[in-house]
Amino acid sequence: MSSDVLTAEVLRNALVVAAEEASIVVVRSAYSTFIVEGSDASAAVLDARGRLIAHSMATTLMNSMALKVALPELIRDVPLETMRPGDVYVLNDAYRGGVHTNDLLVYRPVFVGDRPAYFAATMIHVSDLGGLSAGGMAPLATDIFLEGLQLPPVRLATSGGLEPAVEAILRANSRTPDKVMGDVRALVAGTAVAAARVGALVAEYGAEGLAAGIDDYLDYTEARTRTALADLPEGRFEASYPIDDDGIDHERSHDIRVAITLERHLSDGAGQRSSEDIEPQSPEVIAEGPETRVPGRPETGGPETGRPWSPEMRVPGVPEMRVVVDFAGTGPQVPAAINASASQSLAAAVFAVRCFLDPTIPMNDGCLRAIEVRLPEGSLLNARSPYPCGGRYVPIYAAMEAIFQALSDAVPERAIAPSGILQPFSIAAVGAPYWIHLSYDFGGVGARQGLDGPDATGVHFGIGRNSVPQAEPVESRCPLVVESIETIPDSGGPGRHRGGLGSRTVYRFLADCHVTTRGDRLRLAPPGRDGGLPGRLGGFFKRHLDGTVERLASKMNNVRFAAGEAFVVETTGGGGMGSPHERDREAVLADLAAGHITERGAQEDYGLTRRPDPVS
Amino acid sequence: MGYAIGVDVGGTFTDVVLRGPLGEVTVAKCLSTPYDPIAGIANGVTRVLTGVDPALVTRVVHATTLATNAVLERKGVRVAYVTTQGFRSVIPLGRYARVEEDRYDLRFTPPPPPVAAGDCFEVVERVSARGVVLTPLDLDSVRRAAAEIARRGITSAAVCLLHSYANPDHERQVAAILRESVENVVTSSEVWPEIREYERATTTIMSAYIGPLMASYLSRLGERLASLGVHAPVHVMESSGGVISAELAARRAVAMIESGPAAGVLAAAGSGFANVISFDMGGTTAKTCVVRDGRPEITHEFHVGGKGSFGGRRAGTGVPIKTPAIDLAEVGAGGGSVAWLDAAGALRVGPHSAGSDPGPACYGLGGSEPTVTDANLVLGYLSSASIPLSAPLADKALDRLAGPLGVSRAAAAHAVHEIVSASMASAVHVVTVQRGIDPRGYALVAFGGAGPMHAARVAERFGIGTVVVPAHCGVASAAGLLVADLSTDRVLSRLDAADPSEVFGALAASAAEDLGVSPSDPGVRVSRSVDVRFKGQSHDLTVAWSSARAELEARFFERYEQVYGISQRGEVEIVSYRVRVTLPATDGPAVTHVPVASSGPVGARLAYFAELGGYSEVPVHTRDTLAVLSGPGIIEDAESTIVVPPGWTAALGPARAVHLTEEPHEQ
Repeated sequence: MSSDVLTAEVLRNALVVAAEEASIVVVRSAYSTFIVEGSDASAAVLDARGRLIAHSMATTLMNSMALKVALPELIRDVPLETMRPGDVYVLNDAYRGGVHTNDLLVYRPVFVGDRPAYFAATMIHVSDLGGLSAGGMAPLATDIFLEGLQLPPVRLATSGGLEPAVEAILRANSRTPDKVMGDVRALVAGTAVAAARVGALVAEYGAEGLAAGIDDYLDYTEARTRTALADLPEGRFEASYPIDDDGIDHERSHDIRVAITLERHLSDGAGQRSSEDIEPQSPEVIAEGPETRVPGRPETGGPETGRPWSPEMRVPGVPEMRVVVDFAGTGPQVPAAINASASQSLAAAVFAVRCFLDPTIPMNDGCLRAIEVRLPEGSLLNARSPYPCGGRYVPIYAAMEAIFQALSDAVPERAIAPSGILQPFSIAAVGAPYWIHLSYDFGGVGARQGLDGPDATGVHFGIGRNSVPQAEPVESRCPLVVESIETIPDSGGPGRHRGGLGSRTVYRFLADCHVTTRGDRLRLAPPGRDGGLPGRLGGFFKRHLDGTVERLASKMNNVRFAAGEAFVVETTGGGGMGSPHERDREAVLADLAAGHITERGAQEDYGLTRRPDPVS
Repeated sequence: MGYAIGVDVGGTFTDVVLRGPLGEVTVAKCLSTPYDPIAGIANGVTRVLTGVDPALVTRVVHATTLATNAVLERKGVRVAYVTTQGFRSVIPLGRYARVEEDRYDLRFTPPPPPVAAGDCFEVVERVSARGVVLTPLDLDSVRRAAAEIARRGITSAAVCLLHSYANPDHERQVAAILRESVENVVTSSEVWPEIREYERATTTIMSAYIGPLMASYLSRLGERLASLGVHAPVHVMESSGGVISAELAARRAVAMIESGPAAGVLAAAGSGFANVISFDMGGTTAKTCVVRDGRPEITHEFHVGGKGSFGGRRAGTGVPIKTPAIDLAEVGAGGGSVAWLDAAGALRVGPHSAGSDPGPACYGLGGSEPTVTDANLVLGYLSSASIPLSAPLADKALDRLAGPLGVSRAAAAHAVHEIVSASMASAVHVVTVQRGIDPRGYALVAFGGAGPMHAARVAERFGIGTVVVPAHCGVASAAGLLVADLSTDRVLSRLDAADPSEVFGALAASAAEDLGVSPSDPGVRVSRSVDVRFKGQSHDLTVAWSSARAELEARFFERYEQVYGISQRGEVEIVSYRVRVTLPATDGPAVTHVPVASSGPVGARLAYFAELGGYSEVPVHTRDTLAVLSGPGIIEDAESTIVVPPGWTAALGPARAVHLTEEPHEQ
């Protein structure tokens, strides 16, 4: 064994640091209102075979899976041999790995010799690229053309600077051209930083040494993933989770179905695991029949599959476990913004499975090899053009919840009740000059076995409350007053373990504006588990000048608010777990003291009979 | 010129340094006494003052981890939090950033808030972002809150109202009413009037949380020193590297949170090189900082109790503190870090540390897990110079890695050494490359028990050709205190203030008053800076103030390019105004220089160097026998061991510092 293998950890950290630096640059120099407060920026390092090698710590899987799935599409349109040092490429095509039109995926090749060997990639939700409403939310879009400008893979910059034609197109299609170009420059600069770091690693380790080190890293990650999978019981576990409605027909819900199979993998040697082909892959390329399979698909390794699996990298006896996540039976795509592109559904499935594995496993292609995801083509989770994909988080959160529920059945000691989810909204000027406040609030997390659910915080996809804007900077930038940010008492689903609370935020406007929303789980409450009760439903509301409050639909586009009126965002509480009457009395009293429940809630939900002593 | 005493209280040791009128230095290293840190201090002070009249001591400078520990261990006083109506949930909700493994952890629960949800109170009032009163303060609502706080027996309150940086009037009125019934009241507009309510609130809450502890501690310390005959004023180191009087420190407790680590950086700053990277590696953590032109880099936000990762303290995972602090990067690896094999059989080091109990296996105190120290002993870098170390126990511990890995014991030990050196390098990376600073041309100043053993290897990774190991490197922080200036900071957020000179004037006067000086006094330095951003962006950069707008913009553009690598132009705006007032310390005499009594090495031993193919016999020197040593070799003294790898040359420099220089590579 070489000392390189002994100190492989050094290289692993260096790769993540490369991505991390890129994301720091993007976050801090971007203009997008979505990320200036929330740091929602992503950066990744991939190789020319389309493998995800590392991503920055704040990168969500939604974004890194997009960067992974779209890279082969870029290489298909722009062959590697035509790329030049200094070139930078961009795309946002949702049907070719992208997310939705506002999310720009930017790639810079890193050359080894005269050929690109790696790619530094960055991605953010830019400030505006057209579509039905400023800022990129088009909840009532019926096709993708209403969601904004579509970009196939094109060259964005060369060593000489931005491509003037692309810049002109981007500017012409944005309500905020200067800000969009600021975002684009940040994306480009981020790739430069990560590319320089990867270049330094090539110099330090040598081209072959780095490639071998990366192969080891991916193999190592696969081994850890399979080891963790072996802790789960074998078997088939099914669940489904509903979507409230598509925003157009308010009465009809849609279902995501999943069947998860945990099984011993039929091992047939090293070639199976070194499955990456030198040819770029894409959902279309590996589509089999009516469904698309993404990683984990057994393949035959070619002669250039890199270093063979080295047995010494693994603890002897690691079982050959794998998991198959099959969404057969999921509802068909609809002409409304509740479909997802394949990359986003892949991210949801991998994320949700990982929530039941060792959380410290690195995230890269090695992890993906042990997780096979089947996405029926033309379904809510794998939409085809021109079905809109902008509302992808609605179906993928339902997909994640379905997996959580199926795996909660498999592993009851780590069960979690369904949660309230994030509720995005935008507030924008009714005309030029545009100001946009694009944000979201979080619902309460479902109760966990043995634990209450956290309040109004994102359990999913790794974003936390740090991404919710603060009142002072928002008020200093936009003509509005944030009247309150509160948790809603009694909103957590009662149970032996209580669901997390939802929140209420009130914005009073000082100027007329347009409000756009994209909510779900506002009609069908997250249910409890094992006798726990559902979380309280949240909603979007308009408070009129006379003080009356009107409930709005969960998905609305450009609802006009007059100065003086207020927009109220209430998020949904998480479901409870176990009967509320089994809840520890001290915990009920503590909730009462902290204002998490009211006296009425203590009596009606938890059966607390005696009025407690005043808090001391 | 009298005697000056520096006191640094760390987790394991309390270091006391006495500097006499002729520059002579006496050092005492005593075990810390966590139950009562003053006992350890008194012990050390008594030892260094042996044979010296305590009345001749003219200055005592203290760095303390009391504030940090109180926050980390949640041992501060119970605090009531008072805020604007509608916002009492903001602190309990927190702003936790889910990073790394937190993201995939469904069982993750955010850390408890710094103040209990039930102890958050609201008052009816509202001020706009421009400071205009939208809702007048309802005094009855304040009185109701005050009565309830008093009824609960809470004696410390933090007040943070929305936009109080723009108009502090309501906060002042609230504080006045609270003070009638609550002993300790802190307002955000006094502590740190900067925009962003969450960080301003946590900074204020932490001040209320640790202030009473700090006040009582410093007053007891003063009494104890007086009982030893030391009546000199006590100064305390701030997180930003200045010192302030004990009285002021009690009032501005939140500014003392990084007091301890700041002192070490000052020692590095005093190494004689203008541009240095300080590298302080102890038993469980290592810290780095950049000093440019003799001044440590300052950050305007840090997180206490957060997660460390890749050399940085991860924003969003601890309690944010907005007061200025020396910009340190910290990694959770040191001499006591345990090496282990993970589930996939890969070698990892840390973050778990064997600490001082049971300590590394070679201490023979019952530890059996292999640590970095054990690896260094196996490699022949360490020996039993100052404390007895057991080589057989270290061998046995390393064999626990070597066996499963299928490699030799030495190869396993070398891998551990390499992994730790890379961890250290990541901390250097954070403060240099990630900040747009090219570390080549900087000198690496190494101290702490383990620093000098790894320093050259860390330097090599960045092409840094000079490593400095100061005299007294084992008590560098205490020594650093003796060179600290009297200094304090102020800030005010105000979007493009109409009259910046008025804002600066008020800030400077208030800071100077704290130091008991006037801004116009001779020797007093007032430095002004502003936080500038492009209009439409949210993140700002701090640049030195210039009243000439074009010059200010040029400075911002230059800084922007340095940090982000983008040459950007556009309309800019000023967000906040900052002032630092400094009264430089009177330069003490240089540490007495003992003439070099060059002689041969004191011994030789087998040490492992990969470039030499394994173990070879290398000379062992002490500072007393060192003139020039071409690596490989080892220099040992009472406090640390310096490893001189092949390709490096060691020589004794001024003030008994050891200078290591790398011979230029032939490419």
